[in-house]
Amino acid sequence: MHIAVCLSRLPDPNTVEVDPLTGAVDASRMLYILNPADAAALERALQLRAPEDRVTALTVGPAEADSILRDALAVGADDVLRVWEEGRTSTRPAVTALLLATALRTTELPDMLLCGTRSLATGSGKVPALIAEYLDWPVVTDIVDFTLQGSMVRFLRRLAKGARSEGEVMLPAVLAVEAGAAALRYAGLPDLMKAKRAAIPVQDLSELGLSPVDLNFPAPTAQATMPPYRRPREIFVPEASLPPHERVLQVMSAGIAQKSGRIVSGSPEQAADQIIAFLADRGFVDRAG
Amino acid sequence: MAVNGGSEHFDVIVVGAGPAGSAAALIAARAGLSVALIERGEYPGAKNVSGAVFYGSAILNKLIPGWWEQAPVERHVCRRDLVLMSPTTSVSLDFRSSAAGYSEPPYNGFTILRPKFDRWFAAQAEAAGAFLLTSAVVDDVIKEDGQVVGVQVRRDMGELRGDVVIACDGANSWLARKAGLQRELHTHELSLGVKEVIGLDEATIRERFQLTGDEGVALEYVGAVTDSVHGGAFLYTNRDSLSLGILGQLSSLVEHKKRPYDLLEAFKAHPAVAPLVRGGTLREYSAHLIPEAGWNMVPTLYGDGILVAGDAAGFCLATGIYIEGINYAIQSGLAAGTAAVEACRRQDFTRYSLMKYMELLYQRNVLTDLRAYRHAPAFVNGERLQNVYPELAARISESLFRVAGDRKQKLLPLYWQTLQQVGTKPRHVLKDLYHVARAYLW
Repeated sequence: MHIAVCLSRLPDPNTVEVDPLTGAVDASRMLYILNPADAAALERALQLRAPEDRVTALTVGPAEADSILRDALAVGADDVLRVWEEGRTSTRPAVTALLLATALRTTELPDMLLCGTRSLATGSGKVPALIAEYLDWPVVTDIVDFTLQGSMVRFLRRLAKGARSEGEVMLPAVLAVEAGAAALRYAGLPDLMKAKRAAIPVQDLSELGLSPVDLNFPAPTAQATMPPYRRPREIFVPEASLPPHERVLQVMSAGIAQKSGRIVSGSPEQAADQIIAFLADRGFVDRAG
Repeated sequence: MAVNGGSEHFDVIVVGAGPAGSAAALIAARAGLSVALIERGEYPGAKNVSGAVFYGSAILNKLIPGWWEQAPVERHVCRRDLVLMSPTTSVSLDFRSSAAGYSEPPYNGFTILRPKFDRWFAAQAEAAGAFLLTSAVVDDVIKEDGQVVGVQVRRDMGELRGDVVIACDGANSWLARKAGLQRELHTHELSLGVKEVIGLDEATIRERFQLTGDEGVALEYVGAVTDSVHGGAFLYTNRDSLSLGILGQLSSLVEHKKRPYDLLEAFKAHPAVAPLVRGGTLREYSAHLIPEAGWNMVPTLYGDGILVAGDAAGFCLATGIYIEGINYAIQSGLAAGTAAVEACRRQDFTRYSLMKYMELLYQRNVLTDLRAYRHAPAFVNGERLQNVYPELAARISESLFRVAGDRKQKLLPLYWQTLQQVGTKPRHVLKDLYHVARAYLW
């Protein structure tokens, strides 16, 4: 059997420091790790492997991502492959999934594809499902445990609130494993040293038969709608400029001002003007008149 | 490199990728030897803690010309303060210079952040051809007929064989002890350093410490800052952060039942320090042992197939005037690397062949400096220097500068009176004067 495992290299959350003023991440202090869920997937693959089986580890990333492939080699992966387009700075889940699926198609389709169910970085959890879509395979996400029975996998999925669901899926399939599913083994010294010296094969777009245009998906066009929300309750606040006893009175009246008249003064014309201005202010009459 | 029976054989195995280890690996790799550089951290520098001011710029410049242009350095130190402290007062000796030796390449010293610097330095060794192995803890040396022939790494099939093992595994050297070169250390020989890195923006640092451009300052404190514990404190300016911390002699921390982090908090709250750190945000917190006894704790530096360098060999000069270690680590690493290269050339790895290391250490002024100042550590960590004289200096300055309308005393009576106030007898002062003279003058 041939098992492929998709790995991703991401910043260690403990080393990510965000500037509170600018919101910028200090890249110079960041260290990178293998995504814990991917590590669990790799460990499960190694546990499943019979002597005649093969485990291939793949990643999408720049040259620095070689380190996680070396780690995979050290713990026992048979082959590794890195896919990358020089000059690219990041990938969206759809691009990552397309690159991985194409790489698998062009090299050799595995019998089973394992990956972490979501990354620690963005955690969209889209990649497993998208790879499955590109390969036209079934996908099972949030797997906490699974066993292989012939060409069928019995799995246990994590649901909300601690519930679990059992199920079966026929291979080939994409299995997305939770971070807690297994702890990655510790590499022996000779393997570690051999992995350190190993050459990491890289494939770029042309080797995959892709053109950069293939990666330029149109931006998703969804209609933006605002969710309904409750109108905030208006809380009565007394006028700050008033003396304390009047503010207390206002609060005690719960914002309901007592009806009170107002007497205008001055000559009849001035009084009339004031009354008209008063009514105009409140929209009862047109000021133009 | 010979590969026999699956386990590899190196010419030189360097344990610990700190400044000493990387220097040793660099020079051995440049000579064309196969070198393994083994580091227990996830990356070189992950476990390393230091102030840190690196005063060996000229040394490193010979090895990697113009190193500061490519290395992650923070600021070049052109201002140094030695501050004596009482609980309320501080008296300082302020040195700043724009002379060529301090403010022009190759400069005198740089403040550095060790995780970055060590990673860079190890990468230089790796680029020269050394094989860097991280996340590998070395548990023991492998001995055959009394000859060290390799190390045992805490991994499956963790045996790694080599002709020469250079132990650069830091203050509490496990390897030197396993090889029978170092005794158990005494608590009075070690200090515990507790350090914080406090983030502060660049403009504020320049303004607060009166610096221009990339200039930096190194402040060192003695006295009430460590309470009754023997030790000191430091504050260094990085590019956009401050490194500050306290050192406390282990034995006196135990004796006075003080917690180092309490001392650090007290230090930060001292009226002379609080305004300097105001408004900063805590970025890192770390602690480390420092071998402070100098000459008196230097182990046997060479054995059959093994050399000891850096902090593992106690190469740290803590004399009050000098607080240096990284430069001696690099010097000793270079000496060990060179000795290993020569041993490989002769294909003789016995202690008699590796004895060359001692000669090189004298040539590189490591042992000469340590020997010259061998009486200083005991004096610096003495009761009176630590607690009485800073208090004395503070009180004398307090009375000297205070104008209360009283009759002004001349200096000698003032000194005499203050001496009695702090409870020190003149003969003690004379004795200390002799100690100072012996430690520093001749």
